[in-house]
Amino acid sequence: MKVDLSVEVGALKLRGPVLAASGTFGYGTEVPLLERRALGGMVSKGIFLKPRAGTPPPRIAETPSGMLNAIGLQGPGVEALIRDYAPQWATWDFPVLVNINGESAAEYGELAGRLDGVPGIGGFEINISCPNVEQGGMYFGNDPRAAAAVTEAVRRRTKLPVWVKLTPMVSDIGVIARAVEAAGADAVSAVNTFVGMSIDLNAYRPRLSFRTGGLSGPAIRPLAVHLAHQAARAVDIPVVGVGGITRADDALEFLVAGCRAVQVGTATFVNPNAIAEVHDGVAAFMAAKGFASLADLPRFLPKD
Amino acid sequence: MFLIDAPLVARRQVSKDMWVLGFAAPEIAASVKAGQFVNIGMRPGPLLRRPFSVYRVEGERIEVLLKAVGTGTAQLLALREGDVVSCLGPLGRGYDLASAEKSVVLISGGLGVAPMPLAARDAGAAGLHVTWVHGARTAAELCSESDGDEVILATDDGSAGFAGTVVGASPDAGLVLACGPNRMLAAVAQRWPAAQVAVETYMGCGTGVCLGCAVPLARGGYDRACTEGPVYTASDIDWAALPSHLAYALTLPSPASGRGAA
Repeated sequence: MKVDLSVEVGALKLRGPVLAASGTFGYGTEVPLLERRALGGMVSKGIFLKPRAGTPPPRIAETPSGMLNAIGLQGPGVEALIRDYAPQWATWDFPVLVNINGESAAEYGELAGRLDGVPGIGGFEINISCPNVEQGGMYFGNDPRAAAAVTEAVRRRTKLPVWVKLTPMVSDIGVIARAVEAAGADAVSAVNTFVGMSIDLNAYRPRLSFRTGGLSGPAIRPLAVHLAHQAARAVDIPVVGVGGITRADDALEFLVAGCRAVQVGTATFVNPNAIAEVHDGVAAFMAAKGFASLADLPRFLPKD
Repeated sequence: MFLIDAPLVARRQVSKDMWVLGFAAPEIAASVKAGQFVNIGMRPGPLLRRPFSVYRVEGERIEVLLKAVGTGTAQLLALREGDVVSCLGPLGRGYDLASAEKSVVLISGGLGVAPMPLAARDAGAAGLHVTWVHGARTAAELCSESDGDEVILATDDGSAGFAGTVVGASPDAGLVLACGPNRMLAAVAQRWPAAQVAVETYMGCGTGVCLGCAVPLARGGYDRACTEGPVYTASDIDWAALPSHLAYALTLPSPASGRGAA
């Protein structure tokens, strides 16, 4: 049976519901051995206006079914992104959203303005949830007014799709989701990493030089499914689920819990072809259950 | 780069606590160069793959060298013949043996012997006279295998060979390749700034995406051990900023090592 896996996230039409998550797919040129036909889209590594060196090593630590990272948004800055990557993106058959970062709402706006209209840029994912930067990042993500201000600053500079990546480190994700929806977001990505810490018992200090890091991987999946579900209940714009997806069943959990699409992240580090395996597994599930399109998939999404 | 389900086909012990495991991985065996590595994953097993220098190639078999330092390596050591691992490689930039020199010195400390048999192979093929200097804390920890035209052993406690460090035991040479603990490599860098050194870092993906294996550079900033490395010109590294000791601590319980970190 032929299954239609295309989805619409706001105005953005995707050929499939599985995207590559920011920070786990570089600028789209680095991941080897992936069957790219399966990519619904990709979100670039987070970028700032200026180049950033990132945090000193050690930057990663493995934890049970997960990993902590504190990369610190290492990156070449927006001009290098426009020069070195956007021209390639313009030739690709899936959209590229740029994950944008700043230390102030104005900086996010400036970044969006610089990228708007550059061929190859398909949209934005506003990162108000990075736990590994000293300024900005997660601060914007746990205050509804700050989150709205950043979203508005970007919205004013572009007509391209604007997604907002939410942090799980909040008491009510619905409050933040509603705030960015009201400020003009087209979708929210839920969720970024959880802040965690792991201690080196030989050195009597944290295993990461940044002390804390963002926890990702299968360890966070049930937490992420719940938060994505809460976000989906709170807003009318689409929710893109992300957090610990490694297999098709994981993606389907997010979809049934109310998400329109999903992002696969850490799994790509382990299995370069993870995205294709998730995509194909979703198609196989749909066919086996007799669903012709994702619109037919039952959702568990009681509205308040 | 290949992703191969590779069965364990050989195993032998080469020191008190070091083992060589051989996996059938024909495409990797045919293409790997000295200093390159494979990233090995197990299911069930730890989430992340574990990077290993390719130690030796025998026909369609690649060999890796390991020591039970954490639950990942303990699980690898518990594999039986025919058990399959997922093998991603060859990865990274290896040693450059294109040289006007006539001889090369290979300097290895402890587990740092891992890339040296292939380095000796490639150096021999390039017509270089190979001197291998290998050191460990004590005689029982020295690798029992070595290649090359001349072998010099060194132990910290003097129980075999030269009493002292490998750097102290090494003759001078124009071309020096080294691998070992980062503090040993820092000493290599002091004596031979142009030496090619293979550094050790924690690693996530092994393919250049996660930026987890950052190596601090003397010119500032970081690059990736998995892609621009793991072999560097010694003077290019900011040694003071490179962690000198990796805990290899994992938190997954395993039957082989009990609970917690090794």
